[in-house]
Amino acid sequence: MSRTVKNYIDGEWVDSGASDLFPVHDPATCELLAHCPDSTAEDVDAAVMSARAAFEEWRSTPVLVRAQYMHHFKVMVEENFEKVSQIVVREHGKTMDEARGEVRRAIESIDFAMSVPVLMRSDGLEDISSGIDETTVRQPAGVFAAITPFNFPFMVPLWFLPTAITCGNTFILKPSPQTPLATECLFEMLDELDLPEGVVNLVNGGVPSASALMEHPDVTGVSFVGSSAVAQIIYETCTRNGKRVQAQGGAKNYIAVMPDADIEASVKNILGAAYGCAGQRCLAAAVAVGVGDAYDQLKDELAKQVAELKVGYGLEETTQMGTVISDAAKQRIESMIGQSEGEGADVVVDGRGLSVDGYENGSWVGPTLIADVQPHTVMATEEVFGPVLSLMKADDFDEAVDIINQSRYGNAASIFTSNGKYAREFKYSVNAGNIGVNIGVAAPSASFPFGGQKDSFFGDLHGQGMDSIEFYTERKIVIERWV
Amino acid sequence: MASLNTFGAVFTFAIELERRLSAYYGSIGETHLSRAADKRRKKLERVRRENVVEITLEPIAGLDAADYALELNDGSAAGQAAAAGIAARFYREAAPKINVRAAQRALERCGKEHAS
Repeated sequence: MSRTVKNYIDGEWVDSGASDLFPVHDPATCELLAHCPDSTAEDVDAAVMSARAAFEEWRSTPVLVRAQYMHHFKVMVEENFEKVSQIVVREHGKTMDEARGEVRRAIESIDFAMSVPVLMRSDGLEDISSGIDETTVRQPAGVFAAITPFNFPFMVPLWFLPTAITCGNTFILKPSPQTPLATECLFEMLDELDLPEGVVNLVNGGVPSASALMEHPDVTGVSFVGSSAVAQIIYETCTRNGKRVQAQGGAKNYIAVMPDADIEASVKNILGAAYGCAGQRCLAAAVAVGVGDAYDQLKDELAKQVAELKVGYGLEETTQMGTVISDAAKQRIESMIGQSEGEGADVVVDGRGLSVDGYENGSWVGPTLIADVQPHTVMATEEVFGPVLSLMKADDFDEAVDIINQSRYGNAASIFTSNGKYAREFKYSVNAGNIGVNIGVAAPSASFPFGGQKDSFFGDLHGQGMDSIEFYTERKIVIERWV
Repeated sequence: MASLNTFGAVFTFAIELERRLSAYYGSIGETHLSRAADKRRKKLERVRRENVVEITLEPIAGLDAADYALELNDGSAAGQAAAAGIAARFYREAAPKINVRAAQRALERCGKEHAS
């Protein structure tokens, strides 16, 4: 019997009261790594009570002291860098480079939180009327929670936790029950930091714990990253319960490739964008739109390079693409490829039915390239969340932009071109929150907000950057007259 | 031997190469060379950790570990020169394949140290 992951509440590792458990598998080897409890509303209530009790003392802890915790935290993550990366590979299935890249970006978010003493400062104005001064101050707002997905189990929690607590709030994390081990490791490091009890809490589980967080009257705000369908539910539930909320949803990210682009170099980058993390990221390139003559060149070069990608176990350094998260995901992805084929698309490179020597039972879907995809078909409209890149053709730049803007999603879009005019027009016209120019994965660094429009985002203030300072603080206006 | 087809594969190979060289130099009493190899190994571990850029991870082609196999049974001056030559050639050929300048520079510097 494998072990069951514990919750971390009030500075202690505690068992959940849950009777239901989720198995956690290595998706390549199928080894059972652990069980994750489906924590209950009572578990959540204990975490919220602890976080609420810790808030007053923590908010009055000097901000420079709070930032110092982040300095020590960063050192710990650096020291455990390889260990964390390997845990991410084992529970998720991505490659070592991808896991290291994830941990690196997580550290960037800790770096950003160290800037909170500067970023929380506000402004003021003397003599707004005779002898009257007016200032604004930012204050922490209370207990915040984050509900995070399986695809970046170490990075996404750190988009939120460091900034939230350095701003003086207390925090509860509910990670995906598919990948609880990276966050367990994260909380082992937080435990070593000796933060006051209740400042950070971990509740493992699925829907019951997420619902309890959204409905708990003592939770001020919720951050979420996941599918659009769930993001909308999170948004509606949290707003109905009077909470602030930032809910990042799914995506269908388009890439326009102009005839003037360096096709070979562009394809090299597009490969990483489409097949990195086996396509399981909200910034994955899903559709490449070849404009004019670029279409055939793109199709030929992609077919050549996609077929050369080495799929295998992520812990092997030479693996260029790992597994998808589960057999259920594999079946869903393969079914969508079949549906696309039935709609008349041309499956140029077919990743269905792949087997990897030594790991025959793993959740493998090989890199897949589908050409001649038409608007309104499954590959043009639905998020696959797997290693599938579709190709569409546009006669000119304007048609490419029209195709992209028809999507109900608006997470990211990129253009590959050597023409500044097209690049400028693309940035100006495309309705997506993150725009890439000659970059396939338009992932904002920690000091910029993570964009997202249309059905890819529900809320007002985004994660990361100055938006996160706004989200995690309450502004108070002070008007003073001393006579 | 596998192809060095990823950022991590190149750096992990370099780290292992320096670890083996450090042991080799240590075994033949070349203490300062052993320490220098160990210093490079630690630097490469840091560079691998700090310069892996998720948004520009791209496949690498044209590097094979078999082309840089070290023969470390010969402790003579000629044997040492041969080992250093292979290491220098590896770094010279690997550096241009890396698309992060700071990481590329670290490989170039390792190559220069082996060549000098």
